[in-house]
Amino acid sequence: MSSLKTIGLLAGKDLRIEYRSPQAFLTTLFFGLLILIVFNFAFDPGNPATLDAAPGILWVSLLFPGIIQLNRSFRAEREEGTIHALVLAPVESGLLFLGKFLANWVLLLLVDLFVLIAFVFFYNVRLTSRFFWLPLVVILASIAVSAVGTLFASMVSSVSAREVLLPILLFPIIVPVVIAAVSASREIMSTGELQYVLSWIKLLTGCDIVFTVGSFMVFEYVLGE
Amino acid sequence: MGPPPEQTLLLATQLTKRFGAVTAVRDVSFRAHEGDFIAIFGPNGAGKTTLLQLIANLSQPTQGVLEWFPEKPDQVRCSVGFVSHQSLLYSELSGFENLLFFSRLYGVIRPRKRAQELLDQMGLQGAGHRLVKHYSSGMKQRLTLARALAHDPEVLLLDEPYAGLDQHGSRLLTGILKGLRGDRRTVFLITHNLMEGMALATRALIMNRGEIVHETGLGELESEKLENLYFRLVES
Repeated sequence: MSSLKTIGLLAGKDLRIEYRSPQAFLTTLFFGLLILIVFNFAFDPGNPATLDAAPGILWVSLLFPGIIQLNRSFRAEREEGTIHALVLAPVESGLLFLGKFLANWVLLLLVDLFVLIAFVFFYNVRLTSRFFWLPLVVILASIAVSAVGTLFASMVSSVSAREVLLPILLFPIIVPVVIAAVSASREIMSTGELQYVLSWIKLLTGCDIVFTVGSFMVFEYVLGE
Repeated sequence: MGPPPEQTLLLATQLTKRFGAVTAVRDVSFRAHEGDFIAIFGPNGAGKTTLLQLIANLSQPTQGVLEWFPEKPDQVRCSVGFVSHQSLLYSELSGFENLLFFSRLYGVIRPRKRAQELLDQMGLQGAGHRLVKHYSSGMKQRLTLARALAHDPEVLLLDEPYAGLDQHGSRLLTGILKGLRGDRRTVFLITHNLMEGMALATRALIMNRGEIVHETGLGELESEKLENLYFRLVES
């Protein structure tokens, strides 16, 4: 079987499992929306200071539910020991990583999509042509978060304190991604030059390449004993 | 050990596995031939599961060598089917979907046909489209065995497949395992049930504290004698 088919098979299996038991996904989504609503109540939406803080609020609403989603990504493998069945199969560990990463990325994007729509609604974001750069920033940032998140989720999947451990490990590593994503979002929502947005997008693309390739290469050792 | 005879499939030489200060398997040597059905007996913590994990290549020995004949440096995974304490099945997928997924993962030709064949073989044809989380323990165990057989492995490793099964489930599983004898497949069976093991196996290894303390062909011993021997070795 070709590598692409194997990745599709692995990701398809994970997405089918999520589709069959959507409770956790819906809870994650609800959590993201709840963060937006809480901030909406806490700050006056019409206040310019709130608009300054809006990019930060958006990324808190995207990242925290993402961590919950990533933490669950190895649940099926942990509960029934299927990770052993996957390791035993004649499939390169890198492909196992890419399959899981792809499924995580798709699920993360789904959460992000709904949160982004809610953000536009709650914070009265004007849908100018500039705004449509924001989904690109979200897509790029979620690649890096999914890549490192998949790697760390596999590392902590057998640890009892995994819910706490994953964010502690993940957040320091993705600091450049968070800075780039928040800064790019701020530039998009302001009226400044678009070239600044492009420079942050370049940084996000670099992070995507480094984090995805790095996680792909390290995953084999994580899967070992 | 000397050079392997023609039909030798697996040769373990002084296998040792340590986890920190704990030695789970110590200087274990044995030879497995094509078509052998080897029962591994021993108390909890004797190193049986660790030995099976070494054979399955899920774990690497600290010392010693495990040789396959003919050599298959990159194909050991394709040669082994593994049934562990856990089901290794996805509970949110149906029985058929599980078998289809693993058949495809192993590159089985006509995976749908193979999945259906296995369901039929295990007497699960009526439950193939039911989610695994709704299976009984016995059905799950039969499906686990089907998953391990999906790629038609040369070596089947069974780690306590009778655990959690009632009398009826045990009987069904024994019937299926008896059906696997004589098809040139080599089977390693870990069980605490001496009677079940003896009914199926052609050879027995008794392990205690990480070592093989006795190896016998089961035709050579009556069940009562093996039972006495087992308790004497384990209690010593």
